Amino acid sequence: MSIVTVQLGQCGNQIGFEVFDALFSDSHCPQKFCSKRENEAYQASCKERFFSEEEDGVPVARAVLVDMEPKVINQTLSKAAHSGRWKYGQHSHLCQKQGSGNNWAYGYSVHGPRHEESIMNLIQKEVEKCDSLSGFFIVMSMAGGTGSGLGAFLTQNLQDQYSNSLKMNQIIWPYGTGEVIVQNYNSILTLSHLYRSSDALLVHENDAVHKICAKLMNIKQISFRDINQVLAHQLGSVFQPTYSGEGSFHYRRNPLVDLMEDLVPHPEFKMLGVRNIPQMSENSLAYSTFTWAGLLKHLRQMLISNAKMEEGIDWQVRPPLSGLPTLGKMPLSKELHFNTSIANLVILRGKDVHSADLGAFKDPALYTSWLEPVTAFNVWKTQRAFSKYEKSAALVSNSQSLVKPLDMIVGKAWNMFASKAYLHQYTKFGIEEEDFLDGFALLEQVIASYSNL
Amino acid sequence: MGRRRRRRVDPADAARALPEAIAVLTRTLPTGPSPETFRRAKFDRPEAAPALWRLLFCVLSPMPADGASPSLALEAQARSVKAALRFQGYPRRALAQLPDDGSQGGRELLLALAWLLARGPTLEQLLAQSRVRLGDEMPVCECESLASPGPAVPSVEADGCVDTRHLQWLMGKLRFRWRKLMASQQEQCALLGKIHSYTRGCHSDRSLGHLSVTETELLRDPEGGQQLLQRLERENVRLEAALEWRRRELVFWQWMDTVLGACPPEASQPTFLPEIPAQGAAELELVVRELQALQEELQAAVEPRRAAWEARVGGHGPEWSASRRALQEAVRQDLVALQWAWERGGGLTQPHEPHRLVRTEAGAPEGRGLQATEVIEVLRSREACLEVVLGQLQGQCRQELARLVGTLPGLIWIPPPGR
Repeated sequence: MSIVTVQLGQCGNQIGFEVFDALFSDSHCPQKFCSKRENEAYQASCKERFFSEEEDGVPVARAVLVDMEPKVINQTLSKAAHSGRWKYGQHSHLCQKQGSGNNWAYGYSVHGPRHEESIMNLIQKEVEKCDSLSGFFIVMSMAGGTGSGLGAFLTQNLQDQYSNSLKMNQIIWPYGTGEVIVQNYNSILTLSHLYRSSDALLVHENDAVHKICAKLMNIKQISFRDINQVLAHQLGSVFQPTYSGEGSFHYRRNPLVDLMEDLVPHPEFKMLGVRNIPQMSENSLAYSTFTWAGLLKHLRQMLISNAKMEEGIDWQVRPPLSGLPTLGKMPLSKELHFNTSIANLVILRGKDVHSADLGAFKDPALYTSWLEPVTAFNVWKTQRAFSKYEKSAALVSNSQSLVKPLDMIVGKAWNMFASKAYLHQYTKFGIEEEDFLDGFALLEQVIASYSNL
Repeated sequence: MGRRRRRRVDPADAARALPEAIAVLTRTLPTGPSPETFRRAKFDRPEAAPALWRLLFCVLSPMPADGASPSLALEAQARSVKAALRFQGYPRRALAQLPDDGSQGGRELLLALAWLLARGPTLEQLLAQSRVRLGDEMPVCECESLASPGPAVPSVEADGCVDTRHLQWLMGKLRFRWRKLMASQQEQCALLGKIHSYTRGCHSDRSLGHLSVTETELLRDPEGGQQLLQRLERENVRLEAALEWRRRELVFWQWMDTVLGACPPEASQPTFLPEIPAQGAAELELVVRELQALQEELQAAVEPRRAAWEARVGGHGPEWSASRRALQEAVRQDLVALQWAWERGGGLTQPHEPHRLVRTEAGAPEGRGLQATEVIEVLRSREACLEVVLGQLQGQCRQELARLVGTLPGLIWIPPPGR
């Protein structure tokens, strides 16, 4: 089953490229721990999912590239073409001469309707190349203009036209210390719209990834490219092939729906985050060895203490004593330190994966009172190592960890909204106060739901 | 037949005839215990019970015998057998009262098996179910899957209150599974279409024109041919056994008479009634009498009421009779619509069994089979009917919710986002 990726705006296109490159490099990485036959099945599965093939034999990414400025798209296309390993389709992009100037309303109300038909045509052509379509990845920023505004518009269109296919939005959460003055407005508009039309929002926080680059990868001068590569690594470690079940050696047919079924069936809880372990520069990797027990112990603590990387984990955080009713069992201030999960999915790749013990993730104290660990926790495995990591683990979780950043954004946006700052830039393009209020109401509800787990 | 029955029977032959008949029967069935097991079951020996529970499970389970179902624990199988028999209206209470662990019940199970065999085309259905399919088949209707209860689902007893969020979670999961099913069906159709168009003109049978998946697989993997051959041979053996069984079954039924004779008779009871503790029986008697008296009283009261009503209605003038006529007209229209839907739905003259999928050239003369467009049309109208029903049910739920909300003043109802 195949996934069609829609890369939107500068951010979406740059990340999209790194994702395809990471997927391709990983599936052609030399393998020590799995048989040749298994490796071939892995490659075939990855290829079917993310690439189609043209006559010259070079894999073509199943992607549609959209931006309102030509620069990034041209760079992206030529980088892929020059890699010589894979490329984008010749007629699968759309770019214009004028951007959205970081105005969500412009992307949503002007660019969206104006280019709706041509973009949907591009997507349809890409869909027709798939024997079977599982769904869409929509890669976009949350706070900008084109990616976020046009992305919200297109996601809605996809929901109308491909209602049975799955839509997962990869959204890039802006730095807390903003790049753009109206980023909080843009963010609440994006999130509230996607909450209505998307099936799952996989959130990547720039701040967290930046820290990973600095602390774990030891990069001195961090560029967007570095950040995007970490992000691509995280995505790849989730969506590369895994076995379809315990004891099975067949690869999962439709991982997108399996992931959603495991993590986001509830319509009010759609926000997902990814954590990976280990993450380090290639140089250090050569001198490191890992055990499953050690990796999983760290990963669990990262989850419950809400840390985004293995360095600087707060080991004091412990799950609340089980046996007490979950609701209102502690004053809020105390509870904030412990990150309660709705559901978790752990993905293990590499040597001796069958010996990994995941018991610690099945503690009912980690989860809400209304889901049993047997429902709330799932694990996918494959013996094939990911990239150059002999053993690696990824954790996709639907948890409280995004409540705080979301609350901050909503709070800041509300303050601006109360003084009607910059509102005219939005009303000018048909986004009224009413739309803002709807967005606030929806996100307040989301925050309340996540806080009362 | 008559001549054979009059022939003097060698007692040794007669002694052999029964085990042979049973052996033939078990060869026909998906998993066959030995004739010796049957003999032991007659005497209710516990060692015969597990094999017979398993046999009945295979006979009753709607899934093909070679599926994953037989790996179920014996206890689950026993529960499933009981549930399936109850669903089919099996009348003996003794069976339902057997312990769930599958350790007992040889004779009762034998009776149940005989009941199934005697009642209908059970054997034929089983043979049809496990038939080797060479063509790509598709069902043209869902009646079969709707008619069978499916495997028993372990019921979850909710202790205390249920969190709505849990229900919403389950509902969402169901939605995703539904979409997954749709995606895999679509994938299957796309791949079938590819095979059919790539192999056009390859089939020796001109009326088919192209190969099926099984046939294509045979070309790709000759090893599979051996396996297919074996499966065909196995099916042949079962079919031969079924024919043989028809010739020999009389002796089995005679023997079953003796099994039934060995059973303690059971008061004939058409349906299951809840068990009533002994001291409750007297009270029940009382209640029954009271109920009867009440019913008589009611009937006596109803008659004059109705007469009075009719008299009043008759005196209501033209307005009343006009609205009455309008009502009658509306009912008549509804009835016509229903009848029309029914006739269209059931209008297919073809039987409901699965059909082989064959791709024909556009403009080719219509064959004897069903046209896909016809089937699609029937399915569409069925879908439309079901959607109407769904809409009605949802409306009812909404009304009920609104009523419930009305009973709680100060409560606001906010629908979840995205629905």
